[in-house]
Amino acid sequence: MSARNLVADKLLWEKLGRWKRSSPELDRIQFLKTVPFFDQLSNRQLKSVSDIMFERTYDIDESIFEEGQPGAALFLILDGKIAIEICRETSTTRLAVLDRGAFFGEMALLDETPRSATARALERTRTLALYRNDLNELVHRDAKTACQIYRSLAGMIGDRLRLTNELVQMKAPADKVGLG
Amino acid sequence: MSNGRDFEATERDRKGRRKVFYLTFAALALIVGAFLIWKLRGLILPIIVGALLAFLFRPVKERFKIRWLPHELQVLCSFAVIGLVLFFAYNTFRKHIPDEEQKLEFKVRLKYKLNEKYRQLVAKPPEGKSNAVLPLIEKELGPVMDKINQALELNREERNLFLKYAAGYNGKPPVQSKFVGYFRANQNTREYVIPEKAPAGGPPPTGPVAAASAQPPAATEGASLENKLSAWILAPLIFVFLGFDNGQIRRFSISLVPNRYFELSLTVLDRLDDSIGNYLRGTLTECFLVGMTLTLGLTLLGIPLGIAVAIGVVSGLLNAIPFLGTAIALVIGLGYALIAENIRPLIPGLNPNDLALYVVILS
Repeated sequence: MSARNLVADKLLWEKLGRWKRSSPELDRIQFLKTVPFFDQLSNRQLKSVSDIMFERTYDIDESIFEEGQPGAALFLILDGKIAIEICRETSTTRLAVLDRGAFFGEMALLDETPRSATARALERTRTLALYRNDLNELVHRDAKTACQIYRSLAGMIGDRLRLTNELVQMKAPADKVGLG
Repeated sequence: MSNGRDFEATERDRKGRRKVFYLTFAALALIVGAFLIWKLRGLILPIIVGALLAFLFRPVKERFKIRWLPHELQVLCSFAVIGLVLFFAYNTFRKHIPDEEQKLEFKVRLKYKLNEKYRQLVAKPPEGKSNAVLPLIEKELGPVMDKINQALELNREERNLFLKYAAGYNGKPPVQSKFVGYFRANQNTREYVIPEKAPAGGPPPTGPVAAASAQPPAATEGASLENKLSAWILAPLIFVFLGFDNGQIRRFSISLVPNRYFELSLTVLDRLDDSIGNYLRGTLTECFLVGMTLTLGLTLLGIPLGIAVAIGVVSGLLNAIPFLGTAIALVIGLGYALIAENIRPLIPGLNPNDLALYVVILS
């Protein structure tokens, strides 16, 4: 077989490979690779996670979820901006502004406790949502992947706890904190 | 000022027109929907059965997921396995489905035995002892027996066919002489309730003639059966189609939900799925257990294994219909118990003459 034929074959197979996997699916997997939450996962694992995710688009000022509502899903920002806010009767406190690649609402993966803050889109935003029960089912179907996600979640919650402890220690007066 | 009023009037008109448009559109959609459902009503049941089977077998599909095998191939493999199991089950079951001769024989036996039991029930006690209950039973059961007799009456064609089978027909051995005797006895069965004289104007139609006229033409019946069977081809297709679904239908349904209700709808759908799934799978398990128990019980009562399995399967399936299913299953079991002969219960101490009673207790 000539070199020309070999190259033609290779091109054909590449084209077929590209055709087999739709581009949005590949894009999504590429995106998931960049999220720290899933950085331990292989391409195959990312594919199975991507298959159970829901894509949602929110308009400017639209709520993704509101404080006090029971949580059911973790959200990843594909593009756009989200504000995390706590609304009180007289004022609204903005806790954070998140953009592409960030995630929020991760506590909903553990239980049904009410949301502790409101998430609102600051611009037209596309998100990926991972539903708690789908992740629970993934435990039965692909235990290794689910374990790695839970491990990332545990690590993240541990980090936040450590950070909160440090903040408490920094802000509290030295005589009250000195407990060892 | 007048501009504002004009605007309000235009707005009111627009809203009115919009309302009329939406109402007309909704009414039209409703009519078209109802028309389609009516026209395609023959397809509804196969579609529901296919969807139900896919729903019931979903946990099996999930459980036997093989990572390296493509999803579609897995579904086809599991469908082939289920199909094979059903095919063998049907083949085993089909052996006990009565053929033309056995159906005629069954009708003759059932009519004879029922009349025999009825006559035993209403027989006058010896030595002229009066019994106040007997006239009551006769009054209530007499018309019922007449109706049963009319339903079990063989029409002219069936009578001729039975006589042919009695002499040996279609490569089959002759019908047992005992059953031919039953057939002859059935010919002389009288009506238990004497009908009032019909008004002048023509004689009332006789039983067999009326029955014959009520029979649909054979060709029409065959065509309708064919239509029904072709509609049932849809059931496995729907089953496979829904089996191929890997969450796409759910994803599509959720994509139609407004963002505001996204998490809520996911939770509700999940709980609904759980509850309905548990109910249906529970019912299926119950049907299976009822079928098994009945088969075992009937076998212990001495009914041949094939018949016991057939009655068990039918009763188990019918058990899915609340209340009515149990009653129909009881009637089938009782029907066989009434015509059964030469029964030897496997449990010692049971009287074969009380078989009907045991079947009632078992059901």
